[in-house]
Amino acid sequence: MEYNNNSHLPDGAENQKAASRRNFLKNLGLAGVGVATGAAALYSGGIFEAKKEVSGDSKVLLTQDGKLVRVDSLEIKAHEKSGEELSESLCRGGIPGRRWVMVTDLSKCRNARRCIAACQEAHQLRPEQYHLNTLQIQDTPATAPYHIPKNCQHCDNPPCVAVCPVDATYKRPDGIVLIENDRCIGCRFCMAACPYSARIFNWLEPRDAAKYQDKEYNAELNVPQKLGTVSKCLFSADRLREGELPYCVSACPNGVYYFGDENEDSVTNGTTRETVRLSKLLRDNGGYQLMPELGTKPRVYYLPPKNRLFPFENINPETPEKV
Amino acid sequence: MRFKKLILIIAVLTSAPAMIATAQTWVVPDDQKAVCAPIKFTQEMQKQGEQVYMKICQSCHGLPGKDNWMKLTPPPGDLAKDKAQLQTDGELYYRITTGKAPMPEFRNILSDDDRWNVIAFIRTFNPKYVQPDPSAKGSFSGRVVTLALQYSDPMKKVIATATEKLKDGSMSPAAGVEIILYVKRYFGNMQVGDMKTTNAKGEAAFEFPFDLPGNKDGYVDITAKVNDPKNLMKSTPASGSFAIGAPTDKPGLTETRAWWSTRDKTPIWLAITYTGSVLIIWGFIIYIIISILKIRKVAKA
Amino acid sequence: MEDNKPTFDKILNDLTHHIRINKGFLLWMGFLSVSLLICLYAYSLQLKTGLGVAGIRDYITWGIYLSNFVFFVASSLIGMLISAVLGLIGMKWITPLTRIAETIAVAFAAVAGLVIVSDMGRPERLAYVFIYGRAQSPIFWDVTVITTYFVLSLLLLFLPMIADMAIIHRKSTSLPGWLKPVYKTLSLNFTDSPEQNKIINRCIRILLILVIPAALSIHTVTSWLFAVTSRAGWDSTLFGPYFVSGAFVAGSAAVIIAMFFFRKNYKLQDYLTDLHFSNMGKVLVTVSLVYLYFNINEFLVPGYKLKRADAVHLHELLAGKDALLFWLVQTGGLLIPIILMMFKPFRKPLPIMLISVAVLIAAWIKRYLIVIPTQEHPFLPIQHVPQNFMHYSPTLIETLISIAPFILVLIIITLISKFFPVIPLHETAKEKGIEHIKFD
Repeated sequence: MEYNNNSHLPDGAENQKAASRRNFLKNLGLAGVGVATGAAALYSGGIFEAKKEVSGDSKVLLTQDGKLVRVDSLEIKAHEKSGEELSESLCRGGIPGRRWVMVTDLSKCRNARRCIAACQEAHQLRPEQYHLNTLQIQDTPATAPYHIPKNCQHCDNPPCVAVCPVDATYKRPDGIVLIENDRCIGCRFCMAACPYSARIFNWLEPRDAAKYQDKEYNAELNVPQKLGTVSKCLFSADRLREGELPYCVSACPNGVYYFGDENEDSVTNGTTRETVRLSKLLRDNGGYQLMPELGTKPRVYYLPPKNRLFPFENINPETPEKV
Repeated sequence: MRFKKLILIIAVLTSAPAMIATAQTWVVPDDQKAVCAPIKFTQEMQKQGEQVYMKICQSCHGLPGKDNWMKLTPPPGDLAKDKAQLQTDGELYYRITTGKAPMPEFRNILSDDDRWNVIAFIRTFNPKYVQPDPSAKGSFSGRVVTLALQYSDPMKKVIATATEKLKDGSMSPAAGVEIILYVKRYFGNMQVGDMKTTNAKGEAAFEFPFDLPGNKDGYVDITAKVNDPKNLMKSTPASGSFAIGAPTDKPGLTETRAWWSTRDKTPIWLAITYTGSVLIIWGFIIYIIISILKIRKVAKA
Repeated sequence: MEDNKPTFDKILNDLTHHIRINKGFLLWMGFLSVSLLICLYAYSLQLKTGLGVAGIRDYITWGIYLSNFVFFVASSLIGMLISAVLGLIGMKWITPLTRIAETIAVAFAAVAGLVIVSDMGRPERLAYVFIYGRAQSPIFWDVTVITTYFVLSLLLLFLPMIADMAIIHRKSTSLPGWLKPVYKTLSLNFTDSPEQNKIINRCIRILLILVIPAALSIHTVTSWLFAVTSRAGWDSTLFGPYFVSGAFVAGSAAVIIAMFFFRKNYKLQDYLTDLHFSNMGKVLVTVSLVYLYFNINEFLVPGYKLKRADAVHLHELLAGKDALLFWLVQTGGLLIPIILMMFKPFRKPLPIMLISVAVLIAAWIKRYLIVIPTQEHPFLPIQHVPQNFMHYSPTLIETLISIAPFILVLIIITLISKFFPVIPLHETAKEKGIEHIKFD
C-alpha cells in the first residue's frame, strides 16, 4: 500500500491515511513482540517505549488509541503480513462519516454494458460472472420494457449479511456490504437470501487464477477472486478511498450513474462529473428503490425510465458458452 | 464477440431512421472557432493526449484512421477523417468542452490541458495540419478578474466580490462578471443556486441552502468561480470555509444490534437465549455422561 | 399364555444369534465399501476442481446436496417420535422398535453433518463456524442443534443397551470372542443393582424429555434456512411444522423398511410381529394426514392470493416444468399411501414395506421440489448467463457424491445392528415375564 503521494485527497482518504498509520503501529507492535532480542520495543496497550539500543533518530507516530509516541527508527519494521491485516481492519471500519449511495437513471440507459466490462475487468470476473448486470425488464404487459443495471443494493437491512454463519460478509459503517474471501466458507446461504440475485460464486478456478496467485488479496476489490467463495459488487470500495468514483460509474458513456455520499446530500454523475443534490434529484425525478416492500432498505435508488434519451432496443441476451 | 456484433447490428437497424430524424447541425460560435491552443503542441502533449483519448474517447470514436467508431446517432465518426480534421482547433476544443448528446460534456471531466492534449493527439493523424502560431494572437486583451468570498451574517447571504485589474494597473470593482458558487463534496464541486452577475460594486450575493449538510460544526467549503465558457477572461477563483451548512455528524450504519450485525453486536436477547439454551442442554448432557461413569463406580462399591 | 412363555435362553439366542461375521455380511459390507470408495473419488474431484463439478450455479445455488441434507435431517427425527413421544405417553408396543428408531436417528444425524460439508465451497474452513460463529445465523443454530441431537440420540441408543451388553457378555455362547471385551467395557460393570437402575432410568427419562425440543429444533431450524429468506416458495411461516411433520413421514417409512429387513435377515418374526407393522402403519397414516394438512395450507394459501412471484412458482410446480414430479410425490407419496394404509391388509409387513419405500422416495423428491424450483424463479430475471445457469440438472459427479451419504447411513446401520442386539434384550425379557436375570 502506498500513501506517499499526499497530493490532494478528499477527507476520506485522509482518514484512511490516519488509519493506515494506526495499523502500521499495530503491526509494528506485533513485529516488535516477535523480535526476542530483549532490547525490542515493549508493546503494552498500544504504547511503545524506546529501549537501550537506539539509533538516536526517532519518529513520532500515532498509536491505535490515538496517542502520539516517539519510536526509535531502529524499531520501525514493516510487518510481513501488513497488507493483509491492514486490509482487514481498514475494510471493516469503512470510510468514516460516509454513507455511500448510488442513483441509477434508467432514462439514460441504452444497455451499452460498458459498466459491466469495466467491472469485470477490475474485479477479474469471468464473462458470465456479474457484480453488475443489465437486465431487460417489463413490469406489466402494457408498460414499456426497459434496461436496468442491477448491482448489489448494499441494503441497510441486508438479508445476506444476517444469515452469514461466520461474519465473512458484513455491513460497514459507510453502508457498503463487503465480503472477506479469506473467511467465506462457501455455504452460499447469502446467495439464497439475497432477493436481488446480486451475489455470485467462484464455482471453478477464478479467471487468470495462475496469473494472480501471488497477488496480495484486497478485500475492498475482492481481488484476487478466490475459488469456492462468494463475490459481489462492493461499490468499488478501493476507488472510494482514493476519492474516485466506482469503476462502473465512471465507465458509463451515457450518464446513467450518480454516486455520492448521503451524509453530504450529494451525488456526482460518472459521465458528466456534475455534482447535484441527492434529495432534489430523487424528488424531482421520482426516485424509487427496488422491491422496497421487502424492507431491505437498499442504498441504490433508481430514476424511472421517463423521457428516455435512447429508443429501447430489444436485446435477445445471447449467453456465453456453458461453464 | 458474437454478442457485440449482434448489438451493433441491432443498433444500426434501429437507429437508421432516428439518424435521419435527428440530423441537425452542431454550430460552433465564430469567436470560438478562432480560439487556438495556448502553446505549441509538443510530443509530450501528444503522448498525454493519446492516453486520455484511449481512456475516454476511444470507446465511441474508435481508433483514429481505423473507422471502428461506435454506431450511434448522430455518428461519432472517425477523428482522422476530414470531417474532424477540417475543423479549427477552436471548433474541436469547443465541441469537447460543451458536448452534445450523445457526446458528453467534458468541461468538468477533462482539464483545459487535457482537452488541448487530445487535440494535439488527434492532429497527429493529419499530415497536412499546421498549427496556428499561438504567439501570433498578441497579448491578452480580456479582463483580468480576481474573486473574494465572504459570508454576510445580516444579509444571510454569501457574497462574492470581483475585482478587476485595469490596463493601467489599478484595481477596481468588476461589474457584469458572471459568478457561480460551488460547494465542495466528496467527488467534486456542486453548484449552489443559480449563476449571478456582479453589480456595480463588483458584488454578487448568493442565497445559501442552509439545510445543506456541512461537517459536524456546520462548516462547508465554498468556491466562487467566474463563468467564462468562451475563455475571454483571466480569472482567479476564491474559496473559503463557512459555518453555514447543517451540522452533520451521522453515526455509522452499524451502530444497532441487529440480525445482520457482526457477532460483537449480537442482539443481547439472542445471545442470552442461545447461550442459555446451549448451557442448559449441554449441562444435562454432561450430567448424564458423569452419571454413566458413576454406573461403573457403583458396581465396584 | 403361561405355557407359551419363552425361556430366557431362547430370547437371548433369538436376539443375539446374528451377532457374528458371516459371508452375507462381508459381501454386503464389501459392496458398500467399494461403492463408497467410488463416491469418495468423485468427492476428491470436487475438492480439487471446486464446487463447479456439480450442476449448481449462481442462481440455482443449492442443489441436491442441500435437498439431501434436508432429507437426512428429516429422517433422523423419527428417533425422537418413537422413543420419546410414544414412549412417554406409555405405548408399550414400541419397545422392540426403540433401538431401530434410535439407530436410524444416530446414523442419519451423523451423516447429515457430513452431507452439509460436501456442499461447502471451502470445506477446509469448517472450523470457522465454531471460531467465528454468529448467533444470528440459522446455519450456526443448525450446527449447534444437529450436534446436540446427535449426542442425545447416541446416549439414548447407548443407555438402554448397557444392561443388554452386561447380559450378553456373561450369558451368550455365540458372541464372537473379539467382541467380548468391547461388550465388557461398554456394559460398565452393570449388575442390575437398584442403584444402577436408578441412575440409568433417571438419565433415560431426562434424555427422553430433552430429545423432544432438540429434535423439533433440528428440523425447524433446517426449515428456517429457507423460511428466513423472502423467496417465493420459501417465504412461509408454516415451514417449521411443515418440515417437522414431513420428517415424521420420512422417518416412519425408514423405520418400517428397516424393521422389515431386520425381521427377515435376523429372523426376528417373534419380536417384530405383524402387530408392530400394523401399528407403525397407523403411525405413518397419522403423521401423513398431519403432513397432508400442512401441504394444503402451504399451497392453497399462496395459491389463493397469487402474488407475482408466488404465481410463477406455483404455476411451475403445479402445472409447469415440475408438475409431473410434484403430483407424483403428492399422490404416490402421500394420498395413495394414506388411503391404502387405512385398510388392514396393506399394513401387513410386505405391502407396508413397499408403501414405505414409495413414501421414502417421494420424501426425497419432495425435498428436491422444496429446494430447487424456488431458485429457478428469483424476483429479478436471469439474463446474460449460460443456459446451465438457468436450469439445474445434477452432474454425474454430483450424483455420486449425493449417493455417498446413503451408503454411509447403510454402513452405520448395518454395523450397529450387526454387532448389537436390534431388539432391546433386557426390556423384552422383562416384558415377556422373565422377572429375574442373574448378572453374575
